[in-house]
Amino acid sequence: MKTNQTDVVAAYLHEVDQRLAGLPVLQRRELLADLAAHIAAERAERNLASEGEVIEVLERLGSPEAIAAAAHEEAGTRPERPRKQVNWTVVAIAAGALVVLFVLCGFMFFAQSSSGPAPAPMSTEAPAEPAPEPTVTG
Amino acid sequence: MAEGSSLATGLRRGTLEFCVLAMVETEDRYGNEIVRRLGDEPNLAAGEGTIYPLLSRLRRSGWLESKWVESPTGPPRRYYGLTVTGRAALEHFRSEWVSFRQTVDRLVGTGEAA
Repeated sequence: MKTNQTDVVAAYLHEVDQRLAGLPVLQRRELLADLAAHIAAERAERNLASEGEVIEVLERLGSPEAIAAAAHEEAGTRPERPRKQVNWTVVAIAAGALVVLFVLCGFMFFAQSSSGPAPAPMSTEAPAEPAPEPTVTG
Repeated sequence: MAEGSSLATGLRRGTLEFCVLAMVETEDRYGNEIVRRLGDEPNLAAGEGTIYPLLSRLRRSGWLESKWVESPTGPPRRYYGLTVTGRAALEHFRSEWVSFRQTVDRLVGTGEAA
């Protein structure tokens, strides 16, 4: 039982921590310490025995998303920059993938139709060689 | 998201912190007490955990001070109290709020006289 409770709390705190990327490191640590102290105090002072009671404490605290959103808002505009960078890298990766796709498609088309246009340059080179010959004889 | 929740968020912004300051005006309280009390008011808080980042900002801006105190019944508690500048900020808010509220009531038609 005790390990189950600890697992639930550890997983919850981990979920919060993951969403705090971009927050100044001291504020990040402070918030996690405050939440851990809150949960520990609730468990000790109210003698919470079951996992269900611990989950109720977590539900009252709120979703990791809501807590992280509040933390980012209180920290000001700074945490929004890393988020935009992440978005831009996603956009860049998506754009890169599209370019690779187009290039591959282009190669496929050329490979398929190469049997047709390939002889054409050969034929233009061919008359270029015999061309000097008549000027020598003349 | 929903218009109702964004309205609540907008109204909360700028007022919730003074509710926190008022809670520790006469005596120091520890985190669990403060967030439990505010968490009971659905108009004010989206969840108890969202108060902790606010407590952090109020401490960093010098309106609150905090200290860890040993507890007889559990782990150490972090107590919060008003600083001198925090007390002045709360007094300033009180006078601003009364005239602000009166103006809105008069224009929106929510005053008792209306």
